[in-house]
Amino acid sequence: MLRATCSVWTSVCSGAAALLTFVENPVSAPPAPASEGLNAEYFDGRSARARAVLLRWNGATLQIRGDGIHIDLPAHQVQWPERTRHGVRVAHLAAGGSLQARDALAWDAWMRASGQRESLVVSAQQSWRWTLVGVTGLALLFAALAVWGIPWLSRAALLAIPASIDTRIGETTLAGLDRHLLQPSALDPTLRQRVSDAFEKALRAQAAGSVPPHSLVFRSSRIGPNAFALPGGTMVMTDQLAKLFENEPDSLTGVLAHELGHVRHRHGMRMVVQASVIGLVSSLAFGDFSSVLAAAPVLLGQQSYSRDAEREADAHSAAVLKAAGISPAVMVGFFEKMNALPADKEHGVERGKGSASWLGIAIASHPADEERIAFFRAAAAR
Amino acid sequence: MEPSTTSEAPDASSYLNSITPVESRTNELAVQFTGSGSEYFRIWIVNLLLMLVTLGIYYPWAKVRRLRYFYGNTVVDGAPLDFHGEPRKMLRGYALTGVLIALYSTAGNFSPLAGLAAFLIIAVLWPALFKSSMQFRLANTSWRGLRFRFKGTLAGAYRAMVPLFVPGAALLAMVAFEALGQRPSTAYAVTSGAVLVVIVLAAPWLWWNLKSYQHNHYAFGQQQTELRSTVAAFYGVFFKTLGVLALGALAIGLVFGVLGGGMPLFHGRQGPAALAGAILGVFVGFLFVQFGVRPYFTSRMQNLLWSRTGNSSLRFRSELKFLPLMGLMLKNWLLMALTLGLYGPFAAVALARMRLQAISITTRVNPDSLVDQARAHEGEAAGDAAGDLLGLDIGL
Repeated sequence: MLRATCSVWTSVCSGAAALLTFVENPVSAPPAPASEGLNAEYFDGRSARARAVLLRWNGATLQIRGDGIHIDLPAHQVQWPERTRHGVRVAHLAAGGSLQARDALAWDAWMRASGQRESLVVSAQQSWRWTLVGVTGLALLFAALAVWGIPWLSRAALLAIPASIDTRIGETTLAGLDRHLLQPSALDPTLRQRVSDAFEKALRAQAAGSVPPHSLVFRSSRIGPNAFALPGGTMVMTDQLAKLFENEPDSLTGVLAHELGHVRHRHGMRMVVQASVIGLVSSLAFGDFSSVLAAAPVLLGQQSYSRDAEREADAHSAAVLKAAGISPAVMVGFFEKMNALPADKEHGVERGKGSASWLGIAIASHPADEERIAFFRAAAAR
Repeated sequence: MEPSTTSEAPDASSYLNSITPVESRTNELAVQFTGSGSEYFRIWIVNLLLMLVTLGIYYPWAKVRRLRYFYGNTVVDGAPLDFHGEPRKMLRGYALTGVLIALYSTAGNFSPLAGLAAFLIIAVLWPALFKSSMQFRLANTSWRGLRFRFKGTLAGAYRAMVPLFVPGAALLAMVAFEALGQRPSTAYAVTSGAVLVVIVLAAPWLWWNLKSYQHNHYAFGQQQTELRSTVAAFYGVFFKTLGVLALGALAIGLVFGVLGGGMPLFHGRQGPAALAGAILGVFVGFLFVQFGVRPYFTSRMQNLLWSRTGNSSLRFRSELKFLPLMGLMLKNWLLMALTLGLYGPFAAVALARMRLQAISITTRVNPDSLVDQARAHEGEAAGDAAGDLLGLDIGL
């Protein structure tokens, strides 16, 4: 999606720029001889009265002469205006006061003739060629930022955030969910124990120290069969999901291994950090126009990283299953069973049904089911 | 607010107002905006690139360049405005404010109580930052070599802004109590509903109170402006806007209600067509608010504010028309979407042109006779940065 975006940008802009280079090449005024003066208006900074003056260079000294005005200033004590195509030229004098010239072309010619250099930034701003380089550079930079920069930055930031904060956020979130969305589990305690035991047994095949601290809790909920992980290692499974796969413990182990993948890679915290980074970049670009527009990349970018996180968690799930001697193919059965659920139970079920279309890919938080089924099938065959 | 909030005694400026040579003939000062979208596009793209490459440190330089472009192309009676802010000073301000905002925005993540505490700290600091921001912006703006000034006092800033915090603080306090489990949820819902109603009813007054503080204290030379609008006029604009909103919502509701009449939207199984209809309805509603209600409010409010700003020898007039503004916003958004944001600078220039050229100035003072009173106090660059991050501006 992003790569497509960039290529559209560059092609639109190169076309426009090629057209405009013609229009833009300024009809430059004949350079005035250095000794020639320039008519301007002088304001002393205390009165709003304009006074006609003649500007002249004497070496590196600017001479300002007019009726009762006799000022000599070294060039570096003047804050020169930047060359723009529009607007009046205004120079600020260090001693207070300013010079204004309405004839911008005459001013520019006079400045050039006096040997004053303009900054690289100003030259770049006045050239469509440099602007085109800028647009291309930006597109590349955005692409690099999206593909490597933001994930890298947020990973680095994660290292600096102590795990205790994850735990704190996880606790706060669970407390909030318990108040509004979840009810205490009504499940048979032995079933809960069985699910938990099967999962811990599968984890025993993992290398010691590679399993992050975690805990499993059950809740009843309107959101239907579902499971999710909170920052800090708490995994929540709904009663409905445990019930649905009561006789397929391996599927539940696969789901929990997926959630443990989120815990292990601290995906929850990474999302928080990433949202801030994308928001910052996007508000730099569009903030002065519209905050609604500036928020759109946060949403789209977040969804894309979220899909990457899901893939990472799926890979973790497949690895845990294989190590425990369970075929990842159990997850194929899991998705098929979830897909076959009646439509009115669909809310919140962890999948994006039929979302293989372009728009679906752009805004869905999970990869399409077909892709995930294919992944587990391939993992089983490996 | 009626007796001006300035505490600087029956101050020098009102005395000097009376001795400014006032002529019997009036001067019409035309306001022209000469900026060009394509030129600002190049400035914007170079700014953006430099900001990203420097990880945002370039921001103050970019901002100064942007402001100098917009000010320098705002030509009043043949002379441009100018901006004098120093990026280096502003950078320090941004660093300071950045830390403040980061603390504020993360505090709420840890506990609602920490969020409340951070909110209170910001509430205490904000008016001071706001006053600083106004001072900085005006003291660094000049016309014909003279700096503008903002003469509002600190006490005035608190009077103007503290009322704005009361409803928000009440809401936050309730969230905090709710988190501590000290209130049943129904009482919580009822009180938050009541607070919302009070906010809506008080909004025009809050806005008038804030705008009075700003528009009563703009000064240039011997001249100081005041806002000669009653609070009733503000209520008029707000409630007319609410009326437009209600009428539009009713129309949209009716259309989609009739269209979706056959489909049981609220009971039984939700057909995909009904769902699509609902989504379309929400989308049309968004378009209506964005391109109907918003330009309506913007144009009416700008006209009210600026046509009522002036003094005995100076009048502003604003005649921003609703329909052209709506057309422009529609065009801007459409092109923004089509160009993935690249049209942004063109849009910003077009909007500035329309809003600025709607304004005209009539004065009986000969601009040549204006003299600076005292070196303007510049205020803190930190204030300007805060104003930027908190979205405060002169509103034009």
